[in-house]
Amino acid sequence: MRSNLLISRRTCLRGLGVSLSLPLLETMGWADGPKSAAASKPPVRLGFMYMPHGVIPERFWPKDPSEFIKSPTPILEPLRGVLDQCLVVKGISGVPIAPLNGAPHALELSTWLTATLPDTQKRSVVNIAISADQIAANYIGVYTPLPSLELATMPQTHVEHQEGLHEAYYSHCSFRGPRQPVPAEINPASVLKRLFQCRETGFGPASNTSTQPLDRSMLDLVLGGAKDLRGKLSHDDQHKLDEYLDSVRSVERRIAAIELRQKDSSLAKANVAKSNTVAASSVPIDIKIPKGDKRSEYMQVMCDLNVLAFQCDLTRVSSYIGSTPNGVSYPELGFSDEHHSQTHHGNKDVMLDKVTKINAFNVAQFAYMVKKMASLKEGNGTLLDNCIMMWGSGLEDGNKHSRDNLPFIIAGKGGGSLKTGCYLPNVKGNQGDLLGTLLTCAGIPLDRPIGIAKKQLPELVAS
Amino acid sequence: MFWIRVTLCVCALFVPVMQSLGAEDKDAAALILARAEAAKTFKTEVSPFISTYCLRCHTDNKRKGGVTFNNLLKDPNGSALMLLWKRTSTQIATHEMPPAGEEKQPSEMERKVITDWVAGMKLLLPKDPGLFVIRRLNKREYGNTLHDLFGVDSSIARDLPDEVLGAGYTNTLTPLLIEKYLAIANDVLDKSFSPAGSEPTAVQRRLLGEPLAKGGDPKVAAQKVARSFARLAFRRPPSNSEVDVLMRVFALATENGKPYPDALRLMVKAVLVSPQFLFITPGNPNTDSNTNTKASPAIIPLDDHQIASRLSYLLWATMPDGELSALADLGKLKNTEVLVAQTQRLMKDLRSRALFDGFGAQWLGLDKLEGKMFDAEKFPQMTPKMRLAMYDEVRLLFQEILRDNLHLKTFIDSNSTYINESLAIIYGMEQTIRGDEMRKVTLTNPNRGGILTMPGTLVNSSFPNRTSPVNRGVWVLEQVLGEHVPPAPPNVPSLEKQDKQKIANLTLRQRTELHRSNAVCANCHKVLDPIGFGLENFDAIGRWRSVDDSAGTIDAAGVLPGGLHFNTPAELKKIIADRKDDFCRNLASKMLSYALGRQVEGYDEIIVDKITDSIKKDDYRMQTLVISVVTSYPFTYRRVTNTGETANAK
Repeated sequence: MRSNLLISRRTCLRGLGVSLSLPLLETMGWADGPKSAAASKPPVRLGFMYMPHGVIPERFWPKDPSEFIKSPTPILEPLRGVLDQCLVVKGISGVPIAPLNGAPHALELSTWLTATLPDTQKRSVVNIAISADQIAANYIGVYTPLPSLELATMPQTHVEHQEGLHEAYYSHCSFRGPRQPVPAEINPASVLKRLFQCRETGFGPASNTSTQPLDRSMLDLVLGGAKDLRGKLSHDDQHKLDEYLDSVRSVERRIAAIELRQKDSSLAKANVAKSNTVAASSVPIDIKIPKGDKRSEYMQVMCDLNVLAFQCDLTRVSSYIGSTPNGVSYPELGFSDEHHSQTHHGNKDVMLDKVTKINAFNVAQFAYMVKKMASLKEGNGTLLDNCIMMWGSGLEDGNKHSRDNLPFIIAGKGGGSLKTGCYLPNVKGNQGDLLGTLLTCAGIPLDRPIGIAKKQLPELVAS
Repeated sequence: MFWIRVTLCVCALFVPVMQSLGAEDKDAAALILARAEAAKTFKTEVSPFISTYCLRCHTDNKRKGGVTFNNLLKDPNGSALMLLWKRTSTQIATHEMPPAGEEKQPSEMERKVITDWVAGMKLLLPKDPGLFVIRRLNKREYGNTLHDLFGVDSSIARDLPDEVLGAGYTNTLTPLLIEKYLAIANDVLDKSFSPAGSEPTAVQRRLLGEPLAKGGDPKVAAQKVARSFARLAFRRPPSNSEVDVLMRVFALATENGKPYPDALRLMVKAVLVSPQFLFITPGNPNTDSNTNTKASPAIIPLDDHQIASRLSYLLWATMPDGELSALADLGKLKNTEVLVAQTQRLMKDLRSRALFDGFGAQWLGLDKLEGKMFDAEKFPQMTPKMRLAMYDEVRLLFQEILRDNLHLKTFIDSNSTYINESLAIIYGMEQTIRGDEMRKVTLTNPNRGGILTMPGTLVNSSFPNRTSPVNRGVWVLEQVLGEHVPPAPPNVPSLEKQDKQKIANLTLRQRTELHRSNAVCANCHKVLDPIGFGLENFDAIGRWRSVDDSAGTIDAAGVLPGGLHFNTPAELKKIIADRKDDFCRNLASKMLSYALGRQVEGYDEIIVDKITDSIKKDDYRMQTLVISVVTSYPFTYRRVTNTGETANAK
């Protein structure tokens, strides 16, 4: 665990090192003009979307690799029309959870992007590993106003201590470091406000003060003071304060990125220079915040926000917890049972059908997002062509809590790096292998394997 | 004569000190004895037991189920292994281990030696208050603190992510939060300060003093403001270097041509995003590093300002008020009498409802009520107004017990409650109770009253469309009596799997009993079910009924282990209320955990025993519980690992 911590901090510092030297931003931006051949290539974006409790395997996995696009299984049905741009991968095993056998639901989400088992000795505190999305954010996050976007549809406040584990494991998938779960935003209005401010004005409501432009220098001074304080604190206090230092630096850097974009756009407006920033080939999509409490509308507006953030290059990394492993129900589907209660179906038809409906419902929301991306033009192709959107669950079969063949759908070509339109029924690898492969496809160099990873998965990579 | 007087004086001075030393010595002697005894038992009984019955599967090489006992045998007292000991003890006691298929099975006597030895392990631990790492204000505390400082509504913090309070409080800080703190700081300043050039608001005058007089030195004035505002916002006096940082921010603004009020405004904003505002930090960090230059762990008392903040955030969820701050400045809070008096003052104040909103609601599961899903067709009554009334009913009982210092059993057995028009529908009192305001009502039905039978707690364990006697039983055992119930193993056939025709005319109770004829399930359910079924007269939203959904008559009678019979919820309540020592220890443990912001473990168990003892000695009074927590060793002391200097050198 200790070595994890050191490496992750190093990774993070490397990211910051890049960020603090502003000229790099200009030379490394993708729409940077004709300086290099790669310059005209749009950036690859990485998105992860989660559904808890696994699937009904026989209603999820395609029977026949050659037929899966034309006649999808019931759970994949909502993706009809875009399956040719998807990859369905079977044979990815999850993290073995022994000795935490009694904590299948605390671990399904928290191991999903970390591919790591939490510290089994000291369970009452969070100690796991940096998650794949945050590794990506440390690297490609420096090019955008937001390093990453974390979305969810339920407050992350569930309290349950399976196997004595800290409750944060239950409802978090993103970890900035081993001890630092990243909270997700659940309010679409506040996500929209945040994205909009990133594009237009910087942070916070337009203020009536004229000191806002000094915020970055002010934060710098505060940071200096915090470093003084750090030197006087005990070891454990310093650890905690490091989270503060890291977070303030990150915000400073984003203010810098926003200022740079503002400068660019005013130059562009004055026709002085070609804009450095990404201008999507299509008009930014509209966001309509739903009034009612329909789950589908709620999940879809969060999808829209994810699409908008990618489309306008406000971030290149997202994680979206479609729902957490506790207490969600789907009244829209005509029954009020909680998701988890139905997954222990004991092969009873009524319950199998309900779980199938819930699975398909979740896939449908993912399909909504993917289809929207496929409809947006970018460069010579579509936004989806330049994305790697992974959908999945941390359990295979919720009834047995099995983790041998976790369900995964990967949509998008990743800028031409990934295969699409296939069902790979026999990939032999684990969750860390898969995450590592996807990050590599997104152009992110890895200085160590992700969690339990042993290798890359060449089967997934476009030849 | 003179000598006698002197001797008397000396005696008077020393006797109390000697007594306390005597107690310490006795503790130390008892500890040595207990350790020797435990080491002997370990050698003669525990170690052979593990070797005989466990090592066939659980060694470093085999690790069946991921469990190995090799480390346990090497270092039996390692606190990291406590959890494994506890789990092992439970599994040995319930005959889960060694598995039924194993030939060699220990006798009941042998099993008991192990469980007793594990239970006694806590007595061997060194005295340790635990860490008290600098803690970030949670969402509620942050909003309230802004309210106290600037007079803004505490909902100004609503954009922050919701978080779990108390024991499992994650306490991390991420860029998203810093970004929001900055945005909220702008919002606060826009709302409470007037724009540049116009008359300052009253808040501005209170915090920043009068506008700069003509010819006055802006730096001198700003330095005064920096010191006084930082004292308030940091909840302790700022150090000189902390004031210097703020003055640099002031200079930054003036160098960029900002007028005096704007420069002060930037300085205030800097305070609001400083770690000293966002975290509870030690008052005089220099003393920390001086007293603690060695690399080994050291135990130091919290300084007065940390105690003031800790107490105020525990009971009021906001910053210390003037009186508490003044006592901290005078260094009086280390005096137990003063600390107790302040705790009593804070408990009597209305703001102490924060202890329910933060601690009580989570303990009793009321924090989930607002978002809990119900079958809208079956239970149209579960409107937001109804949920609020259910919450308030429990809250008002909690506050009454705290304010009036009542006996703790009042939580379980109370003959009055608080009802309004909405809740009257559940109680069947809609003829007599009108209006939204909650009022105290004396109950004539002995089945009602107390947390076991309040709608707010009953609905907590229901499914969207029916009651769950098992969940209710688990809730009572875990939340009320503090017992640990292991989760059901996967693949257990649940109720729905039963043959439809066979069960068509059975009540839920009869169906559940059918299900637990399975031996694996029966062990736990023989305790859970009687309690859950004893409460079956209350439907999924807490209404009284005599028949359940299958139209079968409800049989609320049951027998608990130990042969305790009951026929009605009222009789069940009496049985639970009689277990006041278990209830009291559980509540003490949960409240200590909330107050410390971490799980109770290791040496804390001894503190919980001590708190429980003092409550028992004082006739189970609620205020005694809170006072015992606040004056406890881990609340007023902390362990620090090493100094900034050594950590920096790494």
